[in-house]
Amino acid sequence: MSPTKILCVAEKPAIAKAVAQHLSGGSVRTIPIRGNPYVKNYVFDFNFGAPWGNCAVTMTSVLGHLTKLEFEKQYRGWQSCLPESLFEAPVFELVEDDKKAIAKNIQEQARYCQALFIWTDCDREGEHIGTEIRKHAKKGNARIVVKRAKFSNTERAHILNAARALIELDDLQANAVAARTELDLRIGAAFTRLLSIQLQPLTEALANKVISYGSCQFPTLGFVVDRYLRVKNFKPEKFWGIKVMHTREDIKVNFLWKRVHLFDRAVVTVMLERCLMAKNAKVTKVNQKPTSKWRPLPLTTVDLQMMGSRYLRMDSQAIMKAAESLYTKGFTSYPRTETDQFDKGIDLKKLIEKQFPDNNWGQYARGLLDGGFRTPRAGRHNDHAHPPIHPICWVAPTALNADEKKVYEFITRRFLACCSEDAKGHSSEVEIEYGDELFHAKGLTVLERNYLDVYVYDKWESSQQLPNFRVGELFEPTEAKIFDGQTTAPNYLTEPELIGLMDANGIGTDATMAEHIAKIKDREYVVVHTRGSGRNAAKVFIPTWLGIALVEGYDNIVSGLPDSPSLSKPFLRKEMESRMRDICAGAMTRHDVVHESLDKYHEVFIHTVRRINMLKDAIRKYSSQIGAS
Amino acid sequence: MASTSAQLTTHLQTKYSLPVSPTWLNAFLASTQQHRTVPLSALTQTAHFRLLASDFRDSLTTETSSSLLPADIFDPTVQERRLQGPIPVQVLDIDDIGTSLWSQVEAIERVERGEAVRGREIVRTVNVDDSEGVTRGASTTTTNAGAHESGGSNGPHRLILQDARGTRAVAIELKSVGGIALGSMAIGAKLVLRDVTVARGMVLLTPECVTLLGGKVEALDLAWREGRKQRLLDRLGEMERGQE
Repeated sequence: MSPTKILCVAEKPAIAKAVAQHLSGGSVRTIPIRGNPYVKNYVFDFNFGAPWGNCAVTMTSVLGHLTKLEFEKQYRGWQSCLPESLFEAPVFELVEDDKKAIAKNIQEQARYCQALFIWTDCDREGEHIGTEIRKHAKKGNARIVVKRAKFSNTERAHILNAARALIELDDLQANAVAARTELDLRIGAAFTRLLSIQLQPLTEALANKVISYGSCQFPTLGFVVDRYLRVKNFKPEKFWGIKVMHTREDIKVNFLWKRVHLFDRAVVTVMLERCLMAKNAKVTKVNQKPTSKWRPLPLTTVDLQMMGSRYLRMDSQAIMKAAESLYTKGFTSYPRTETDQFDKGIDLKKLIEKQFPDNNWGQYARGLLDGGFRTPRAGRHNDHAHPPIHPICWVAPTALNADEKKVYEFITRRFLACCSEDAKGHSSEVEIEYGDELFHAKGLTVLERNYLDVYVYDKWESSQQLPNFRVGELFEPTEAKIFDGQTTAPNYLTEPELIGLMDANGIGTDATMAEHIAKIKDREYVVVHTRGSGRNAAKVFIPTWLGIALVEGYDNIVSGLPDSPSLSKPFLRKEMESRMRDICAGAMTRHDVVHESLDKYHEVFIHTVRRINMLKDAIRKYSSQIGAS
Repeated sequence: MASTSAQLTTHLQTKYSLPVSPTWLNAFLASTQQHRTVPLSALTQTAHFRLLASDFRDSLTTETSSSLLPADIFDPTVQERRLQGPIPVQVLDIDDIGTSLWSQVEAIERVERGEAVRGREIVRTVNVDDSEGVTRGASTTTTNAGAHESGGSNGPHRLILQDARGTRAVAIELKSVGGIALGSMAIGAKLVLRDVTVARGMVLLTPECVTLLGGKVEALDLAWREGRKQRLLDRLGEMERGQE
């Protein structure tokens, strides 16, 4: 009897190659496929265990999504129909020309195989790509059995385990992606056509420019514009406060006012007078206590992007690209995860041991296994698909490009920090009552740096020591006086802040946030400026005239309409994301979600058409300002 | 009849420290004439309720000087004095001096747009079923360092108080007094001051010397609310001109 034939399909060629290498143990035949230079078939033998036993395997891949959703031909031209009809126009799935050879390869290979094992990334997109692969495999062999491998990195043992513990494809997750794809296509196309057709003729600057709309892009732009306007409109105000200083044991202790500062000078003056009238201050609290700075939580994608753009001077898209490549090469785990707790089953010490060869943190890793190891803190998130981002094995810095090196170092230092002891210190705090007012002073001594030694991104340093004070003692402060200051405008939005806002408001997923940010730069809705210089330099987002005009126009369109939130706000998109979760949980069907969301956006679309002049006015207003200046 | 009015006067004085004006009381009794069978305690309740909604300048007597603010209360040359009271007063204005005017304007505008801020999250407050966690005046980025997180207004608050004779005084919430907050305290709300310190013309409010009776004067309150944003903007404008 000839061995069972199995077809394996991964999401990208690099994963197919890595998995084939691990499963075959190295003896693998590589066969190029006709019509695509990237995708290869890898042929080898592997024992999948019961019930499959020893099998003849062909491992291949796709290149991301195999199919694309498209309108029927008669709706594709920009002038072919009213943009509004795109909410209902028929759509169908098609294989794009450059993917046809890949689809054909799968269909042909399936013909000879009894089973199809899907090795796409374990997330929503991966699940959907899995259903696309299944569809084409079934065209070749309707009776083919379909299974899926569950894995989150390409380390050998992990891959071998995954191959012997196959599960089912999750159609609910695939349906959520299908729903989102349809909504994005219809809503995006309808609004983009409307905007482009209506606004292009208004000014030279927009001629031939696509003014795109995306349900994530626009709220992302909204955050940038909102902050920009807050900076622009800001009015500085003066404030006053009371500063108390006391010299004891040759130490000048500065006491801070509990009220910080107030915006009424006369009131502060009276309060200070009452302090001085009281003459003596009374010590109401003396706190001496051990304190600690907690080691960081295990690393999620959002955190990687936020921390990365803060400390590595890379934008989120570059970070994700580097992380993706580190994962594909097998150096780190899957970079798209919401999980900030390690599974109990994972052998952390083994992972730490892999870092011993490193010149910079190898010694530190050794120290962890010599007794410094602590079980990582567990956060509150678990996507039940992937572990937190962590290094899989050590890689020589020379084997990586500059971006990869920075990201690998960050991921590794963060991982080692997670497995370390908190930093320990000693804090003292003194509170005094002076007149009717309360003041306090704080001192900190760092005793053990622990995780801070490897996690160079966190700062925690000793401050001034406090002299001795006793509870209940009275003393006359050396000095008490009024200080003044002025409120300052907030800063323009930085990338970590923007990602934080997107995350908190449900705009995009950890996987797509970086793309949305890149998109609004591409469309010239925002530009990136550098604020400050040297170590303190930060990149900030500033909207262009077009970005401001679009947001203002949309806000005006819905102003006074109680049930229609502006498209520049996150509300509608957030609702859509939560519907996606409903599909995944089986609480709603794809069909119902698509209809409900389309109805909501359609309503906004109708308002937009009716009040399009408000949008035009905003464009005229800002484009003429540019012309004039 | 005379005894009812005397009894009511005594009750309102001893129970709420409100020296009611005979003219107002007569008008009140006339309006409740048809319910002559109403027991005194219920009548006192009704009178009390009406007093809280009244203007003290109409409803209280100005005969007893101990229940009035001194006419020179604003005098900034007096370092400290104590008023024994009890002095019933009504609130004409309330202001949060722990928060910048501009961040108060921003907070009002967020409410106008039907939004509220929950940490970094922006939430819709209109037409949303779950209205949990709607915070007012919670702006952590423009209130300056150390400003408290969310919830009512930060304080301390500065009030303008008025007594039965119409004398006005500035009062400062020296220690946090429950019920004094933007939003929850209405204009025309009534307080009774007892054994209160006045420093440089400012009444210093602490929980020990203030009894909050509540209430409001509807017309005043409405006008105050409608005009609040514009008043904040006007003051910011003045400030800007002052700096030039």
